[in-house]
Amino acid sequence: MELLLDRLSKRYGAKAAVDNVSAALGPGMHALLGANGAGKTTLMRMLCGILEPDSGSVSLDGGDIFTLGPEYRNLLGYLPQDFGYYPGYTAGEFMLYIAALKGLPRSVAARRSAALLETVGLSKNAKQKIKTFSGGMKRRLGIAQALLNRPEILILDEPTAGLDPKERVRLRNLLSELANDRLVLLSTHIVSDVESAADRVLLMKAGGILLDGSPEALASQAEGKVWEVPVEEKRVPEWESRFNVANLRRESGRLYLRVISDESPCPEAIPSRPTLEDIYLYFFPTDKED
Amino acid sequence: MELFRQEHKKIWRRWSVRLSVLLCFLYVVVLGGFLTFQWLEFGTPNSEAGHGTHFDGYHNIRAQQKYAEQFAGALTDETVQAMTADFQRIDAENGYPAYYVTDYELLNTWIWTLYPELTDNSDWRNILHYAPPEKLSGFYARRDTLLSDFLDMNSQTGAEREYLLSLDAKTDKPYHYNWVRGWYIILNSAGELGIVLALFLSITLSPVFSEEWRWGTRNVISSTKNGRGKIAAAKLCAALAFAAELFFMAAAGLVAAQLIYFGVSGWDQPVQLIKLIAVAPMNMLQAEIYEYTCVFLASLGFAGMVLLISALSRSNFIALIASLALVYVPMAVGQYLPLWGQKLLDLIPFVGTPTDIFRTNTYHLFGAYIWSPWLLISVPVVLGLLCLPFAVKSWARQLKK
Repeated sequence: MELLLDRLSKRYGAKAAVDNVSAALGPGMHALLGANGAGKTTLMRMLCGILEPDSGSVSLDGGDIFTLGPEYRNLLGYLPQDFGYYPGYTAGEFMLYIAALKGLPRSVAARRSAALLETVGLSKNAKQKIKTFSGGMKRRLGIAQALLNRPEILILDEPTAGLDPKERVRLRNLLSELANDRLVLLSTHIVSDVESAADRVLLMKAGGILLDGSPEALASQAEGKVWEVPVEEKRVPEWESRFNVANLRRESGRLYLRVISDESPCPEAIPSRPTLEDIYLYFFPTDKED
Repeated sequence: MELFRQEHKKIWRRWSVRLSVLLCFLYVVVLGGFLTFQWLEFGTPNSEAGHGTHFDGYHNIRAQQKYAEQFAGALTDETVQAMTADFQRIDAENGYPAYYVTDYELLNTWIWTLYPELTDNSDWRNILHYAPPEKLSGFYARRDTLLSDFLDMNSQTGAEREYLLSLDAKTDKPYHYNWVRGWYIILNSAGELGIVLALFLSITLSPVFSEEWRWGTRNVISSTKNGRGKIAAAKLCAALAFAAELFFMAAAGLVAAQLIYFGVSGWDQPVQLIKLIAVAPMNMLQAEIYEYTCVFLASLGFAGMVLLISALSRSNFIALIASLALVYVPMAVGQYLPLWGQKLLDLIPFVGTPTDIFRTNTYHLFGAYIWSPWLLISVPVVLGLLCLPFAVKSWARQLKK
């Protein structure tokens, strides 16, 4: 199975939300990494057949997804970033409703709904109204509904938003398991979500794909650009204003800044091994808060 | 089928729908049916208090039906005279409200309409109280003259007049009389039923599509196997089914009340007994079937239009206001328009009323005259059904944005 993105573009007025994106995606876990507004959601909506591209195409094993229509959507599971739900529904009722949208027979829907709610840790909340759920519970419900039709292509837009650390680890494990025999594409601007689990990372900026490769390969692009600098506490603000500071740590009473810079920021700077987060900060220096 | 079932369930889940159905039932069936028959319309006037009525409608209806039996049969001059004389006897002996047992409103209207020369302006009472019974002759000749004068006054001449008179000729004379008042109330309430259904259908169906924007579910909907088109079609079917259910709940309740209180007697009387200048070739039962069918089809037509509005709107509130405006604005402004404008607006579901069977309105189409009730029963549902494909397309198109 191969999902081929061929020179995909989408504009909103003068702004290019997605600009000439090409990629071939097969089974495994793929991560779209980028700051807010980088074009991840627009790209995912086109991959789901919700938005039609202004130019370019998306094809699955050679067939255009818009031509395949229901046949393609039957293989698809999607968790949108702005996952909507009916507040008066219970989790169980909502799952049955989505199952009907996905064309599942009632008996299958009931069985799968129960199993998936168990998988995402909501089985005890199946009869609880969604409006009483926390943000993390709603997100988990969103993931469960995406899995209802046992999709071969799973597209998750910011799946970890609102999840606590324990839930994030649990989700990562679930996705890793799912990615064994299907295509999982998730978007995030949280680097740690993909660093350990993704087979491939596509770094997006301004609607285009800036880098494409394994997390290690991408991190290696920052080789020679990451430094550890011992500084006095009172000089931290000055360093932060002058350099792209990734981290601050204390060790044995001393303060070390992790600085991303093409050149050594000072003679005391020690080269450090780059991570995916470093490369992210290298390309999105103004988005450090993300 | 499962998709339809889920969409149908979704409509019924909303508290606004459940409350609307309850209020509709209370207003139409409990107040408009049982309480009207038992208390408001047929309760004995409270002569001691000077206002209000007693809660004894069922008993009074039986008494009125029993009283009317003595005059049941062919309605001739002699029948009219006998009914008038008997009313005046009861009036003289017992006074108000003893004559309540008679069909006095109907009888008074006949005499006032057909024998205006008997009106005594110095007497404050209704004409029925003093009109000399022996002078009430030539009932059918006068009725035909009345109809003819009415058509002249409306400038309904030539082919249109011939057409209307040909309809009138289909009703056998002499008319068959039995107790009329119950049928009068039933056949005049269908228009009100339409107004009430318009309100509750607007409330219940206007969010069908627009609520998906409110809850932000469009992305999930668009990415599922069934897709926008099939889901929209399921929503339409569920909404139309709901409209039918709401109508049948109200209609069944009213018919049940009617059967309990009135029974079926008088079903074969011509509708001309209710309104003398009516040309409808229908008896009471046929008229009732026509009216309910008309309201039912208008419900479906109106539902179709509301669904289109809902599909075009991203706000439940705007969809509701537009749906209400669709029916109540034409109702309000219609009277200020020329006749052709009024007739055009009447074709919008629920704006025209099924009580047009008592009128002589026609539409002139392609050189032929068509009696208005035939268009009022068919055009609204056609308009509504025509809206459905546009609703699907516009909703699907909006979801792509």
